[in-house]
Amino acid sequence: MTEWIKWTAPAAAVVSIASSAHAVQYLSIPEAQKLAFPSATRFVEAQAGRVWKAQAGDKVVGLFVFDRVIGKHLFIDYAVALDPGGRVLRVDILQYRESYGGEVRQASWLAQFVGKTSASPLQVNGDIRNISGATLSSHHVTEGVKRILAAYGHGVR
Amino acid sequence: MASASIRRARPLLGTFVEIAAAGAGCDLDAALESAFAAVEKVHNLMSFHDPLSDVSRINRDAVDEAVAVDAWTHEVVAVAVDLHRRSNGMFDVTVAPALQRLGLLPDLGEPPSEGPSPSEAIELLSGHRVRLCHPGTRLDLGGIAKGFAVDRAIETLRAHGITRGLVNAGGDLAAFGSDGETVHIRDPHDARWSVARVAIMDEALASSGGRLDLLGSTGMSASAVIDARTGEPARAIGGATVRAPTCVIADALTKVVMVAGEAACELLDHFGASALLVLPDGDIRITPSWRKSHAA
Repeated sequence: MTEWIKWTAPAAAVVSIASSAHAVQYLSIPEAQKLAFPSATRFVEAQAGRVWKAQAGDKVVGLFVFDRVIGKHLFIDYAVALDPGGRVLRVDILQYRESYGGEVRQASWLAQFVGKTSASPLQVNGDIRNISGATLSSHHVTEGVKRILAAYGHGVR
Repeated sequence: MASASIRRARPLLGTFVEIAAAGAGCDLDAALESAFAAVEKVHNLMSFHDPLSDVSRINRDAVDEAVAVDAWTHEVVAVAVDLHRRSNGMFDVTVAPALQRLGLLPDLGEPPSEGPSPSEAIELLSGHRVRLCHPGTRLDLGGIAKGFAVDRAIETLRAHGITRGLVNAGGDLAAFGSDGETVHIRDPHDARWSVARVAIMDEALASSGGRLDLLGSTGMSASAVIDARTGEPARAIGGATVRAPTCVIADALTKVVMVAGEAACELLDHFGASALLVLPDGDIRITPSWRKSHAA
């Protein structure tokens, strides 16, 4: 029978994942808009920094909604693209940030996120790109998509 | 010619699925769209919650009459049945009643049957049909579908001519091409830290441990891995990470290692897999092949 080996992680492998604010920027708002509505020629802001009508010429081809989920440890920017009938075309994560430090509890640190409507990239920790471990739940984003559907799922003209 | 690369993420399979791809002379956006579509297909087929999924149809209708399912669902159930046999019942996709009792899965109305409902109750028939021979049996492919989805997405990226790719479904991941991807393994006892760093190349890696709710609770909650023999959450191991040739196997074997601990060696060897365990006291154990295959 194969023996298991007691293993001590080298110091270089034992690093803080979160203290320097693990963050990944996937897409900017304009990039996500273009991906969701390739045929659109312009995006008309319907609610400042949050909701855009995607238009191909004068024809509305859908709605683009930007939202941010703010929790205790995690900040997620995401966007929902809806077709003119109010059905979800796609949901993209725009930016993902993790932080656990005391800074999260400080109102001033939180304030930099609250009320903002466009992505404000934090420094991306280039060394830590892929993490395996406890499964992260996407429950809050799913709930957010439901809220967006409740508000805009009636369709647009 | 330098190759371009892109990295995107979407909420799928109850977690965040991240796909990265690099390549020259191929349509990266189209490759990622197809890869996400493959993950979404697995999500739609194997969701326990969606009443229209194959899994829900099996749980609802397959007791009376065999239910025809998608080839992918059939394949995953076949892998699950094989693993159940090889692990002497430690890997079991019919533990849903135990998860429902613990409140980890919704109670779907009917009272779940008490006691173990063994995977022997699953019958695989020709024409991608599945039958449940035991009325209390409920199928939950949550412990294996994520890994399968990662494999399908990787396959899709390769088919699109991508030369370097990574698919990470909430920590169940696989990568191929060039010099590999560095992966940090989260400490199952303290999510702020990593316990190890590994290079993944043309292989898969999956981890089990506490469930992490970064947006609400204070930290880790109880393991979602159920010991099929007791119907209780696995407690022997703090966290398990498995490397294997495919992600469906890596994903499934983490559950076996969470229950069997160091006794899982033979099964790991059989699948050409290696493992890293974090014991409840924080001590780390690795299989010899874990060290052989790479330096941390």
